[in-house]
Amino acid sequence: MTAFLIRRLLIAIPTILFLIVLSFVLMEVAPGSPFDSERGVPQYVLDNLEAKYGLDRPPWERLGLYVWNIVTDFDFGPTFTYRDRTVNDIIAQGFPVTLTYGFWSGIAAMAVGIPLGIVAALKQNSWIDTLAVGFSVGAQVLPNFVMAPILVLVFTLWLGWLPGGGWGGGQWNYLVLPVIALSTSYMASIARLTRSSMLEVLNAPFIRTARAKGLPMRRVVWRHALKPAMLPVISYLGPTFAFLITGSVLIDVFFSTGGIGQFFVAAALGRDYAIIMGVTILYGVIVVALNLLVDLLYAWIDPKIRYA
Amino acid sequence: MFRRSALMLSAATAMALTLPATAAEVPEGTNLAEEQVFRYRLLDQFPTLDPQLNEETAGSHVIRQLFEGLMNQDAQGNLVPGVATGFEASEGNTVYTFTLRDDARWSNGEPVTAQDFVYAWRRAADPATASPYQWYVELTQIENAAEIVAGEMDPSELGVEAVDNKTLRVTLTNPLPYFPAMTTYATLFPAPQATIEEHGDDWTDPANMVSNGAYVLDSLSLNETFTLTKNPEYWDAENVVIDRVEGYVVNDSNQSLTRYEAGEYDMLEPLPAGAYPRLEEERPDEAHSVPRLCSYYYPINFREGDDVPEALRDPNVRRALSLAVDRDVIVDQVLQGGQRPAYNFTHWATAGFELPEMDMASMTQAERDAEAQRLWEEAGSPDLDLRLIYNTSDEHRQIATVVSQMWKQKLGVDTELSNSEWAVYLEKRREGGFDLARSAWCGDYNEASTFLDLMTTPHGSNDGKFSNARYDELMAQSKTAEDPQPLYTEAEQIIADEVAMIPIYHYANTFLLNPEIKGFPMENVENNWYVKDFYRVAEE
Repeated sequence: MTAFLIRRLLIAIPTILFLIVLSFVLMEVAPGSPFDSERGVPQYVLDNLEAKYGLDRPPWERLGLYVWNIVTDFDFGPTFTYRDRTVNDIIAQGFPVTLTYGFWSGIAAMAVGIPLGIVAALKQNSWIDTLAVGFSVGAQVLPNFVMAPILVLVFTLWLGWLPGGGWGGGQWNYLVLPVIALSTSYMASIARLTRSSMLEVLNAPFIRTARAKGLPMRRVVWRHALKPAMLPVISYLGPTFAFLITGSVLIDVFFSTGGIGQFFVAAALGRDYAIIMGVTILYGVIVVALNLLVDLLYAWIDPKIRYA
Repeated sequence: MFRRSALMLSAATAMALTLPATAAEVPEGTNLAEEQVFRYRLLDQFPTLDPQLNEETAGSHVIRQLFEGLMNQDAQGNLVPGVATGFEASEGNTVYTFTLRDDARWSNGEPVTAQDFVYAWRRAADPATASPYQWYVELTQIENAAEIVAGEMDPSELGVEAVDNKTLRVTLTNPLPYFPAMTTYATLFPAPQATIEEHGDDWTDPANMVSNGAYVLDSLSLNETFTLTKNPEYWDAENVVIDRVEGYVVNDSNQSLTRYEAGEYDMLEPLPAGAYPRLEEERPDEAHSVPRLCSYYYPINFREGDDVPEALRDPNVRRALSLAVDRDVIVDQVLQGGQRPAYNFTHWATAGFELPEMDMASMTQAERDAEAQRLWEEAGSPDLDLRLIYNTSDEHRQIATVVSQMWKQKLGVDTELSNSEWAVYLEKRREGGFDLARSAWCGDYNEASTFLDLMTTPHGSNDGKFSNARYDELMAQSKTAEDPQPLYTEAEQIIADEVAMIPIYHYANTFLLNPEIKGFPMENVENNWYVKDFYRVAEE
């Protein structure tokens, strides 16, 4: 197990290095400059800006320096857009925000989705099942860019219960709408996945055996069915959590949370290479880490899977 | 920014000394609201609050509350004293001496001195600062500015000098009658040297920032919100009524309207596209449309050797294209926000500007169409394929579509609409990869040259590379002319005769403002507002 872990961690390093080089090259070849503006900027202004940010050096030198600063000082450099902020500052402000609402969205999706799926499977073809399936389908076809405005219309404009946007330092009332808007479709996916996986397991021979031994249903479900039924759900949750906590661009832009997603979009459009690189690397590390975590969870749940 | 009347007065020395500074003018018996707060929505996050590094409008609005320059503007855009109580112009408008008020203080209690301006202006010009608005210092014609921004001279050589703590002397290379008006822009605001040297780039953090305006920065969360609170050290603090300013960054336009309707803020600008007519009807006390000094136009590519259709070289073809554009349809049916059709470049509301008599403006559209067809036939009804570039946006797309339809129907011209995302579009426009390009220009100050300079041969934003010797000569003369207006009129006439561009419309600003907020400068065409002049009345 330890050897597996070490090997996976060692593979992660070249993966992330490759990611850095790839995003650097993509940014290099993209047309346009971070200092372009509607009014033509005089050449001497561009020269000064490029000198200030070291953009006048050859690309390989910049790439080397960039990687070196990350490795030695964990420094992602200055941003081109926000003159008084570094990329580290941007991530320090934006990441906790997306982490918070992403985390709670994940929890909400699981807390509702998994029980709903289990109940639906146990009471297959009952009214609860119909309701659960109906909800799942409905929630999945209602995208969050439709749902978010409806939520704001109802809870902010009509009822006046919740703020329509902002972050308020992470107070709960600012969290509610983004979490509902973000988690609902995942809730639905998790419920459907849990339901079908549970149904499959419940029809498996070992469950029939357990029932035949005279074990009560509750015990069968908890002791025997739940763990194997969760395997597909967990493999789904890994990337989903990575996606949730790195922030939804739509949620950040729509609810003005100050989260990382909005910086990322603005940086891509404004050619702020520094922010794009920093955030891409952050995303990369999180995806790699969560995939690793899923693998470990697999090994724990399913002894058949060995990583020798 | 500056008005002709203010300019005439500037010749009479000590004029500004007699002008009162403005502050919130609350009529007697007004029932003021308990909580004096002003909340507004921002479309985008401003990149910086450093006055010398700022280059865009959202930041300028905040910096104008945090800092005060030598001069301010009143509700009509006239020049009024700021940190300076007045100025004296001598030697034919080439030397300006500003007298600073004794009670101007930074938010840390230190006095604002002439040295603070010298430091700030040198800082803005210094290539090491790498300000995107470095060119603004060059535009002011301050002595040696051009050499300093080019890195050929030390910033300490800049023609600005602190004669004593309260006297600032500025020497210009060329006479510039509107120089005092240029001091109302952020680039020329003072800067706190000690704070900047202590904290470096972090000096604009709420914890470190020292400013000299009516407000200080209380908090800032990028892409979310910021708050300003009243600066007790401000020299006129006793006349400042609003205690607190809150800004909310809301990028989505429909969401921004919902949140305004829910009462989350007092001002919403800009409005969602096409929403103005409905809002004007539903909320007549809140919806406003005021002129804004920007012009929307399609420059024509005049570059030699580019693959621009040969027919475009014929002025009659260009004129026919311009005539065939029905601006009324664009203004009344696409934009619907109080914009005006444009037949010339300079915005109609520009101070002192007299529109030249344009045939095109006085015709009916039917006459224009007939004339367009006549010219088109005269030019031999060329088989024309045009490439029109614009940056991705619904509004630009709608206008481009409407215009291309008009050309197709009236002249049989095929137009390829080519949209690109912002940075790509800018590069294409700069490199000349177009026949016509969606463009807009906003005045830096309220005077026609801020528009007309753009069409001079060397101008950095003359993307069509239009070049006319007489035009360049006129604009050069206008800098020193006693009365430049006739020169501007002639310059506009050249643009019209040569059809150097296709002007489309002159901007208007549409916005919603809570009627409880009073003192908003509706007549300031540069949209420069000072929260210190506002007050909030109690709900009725």
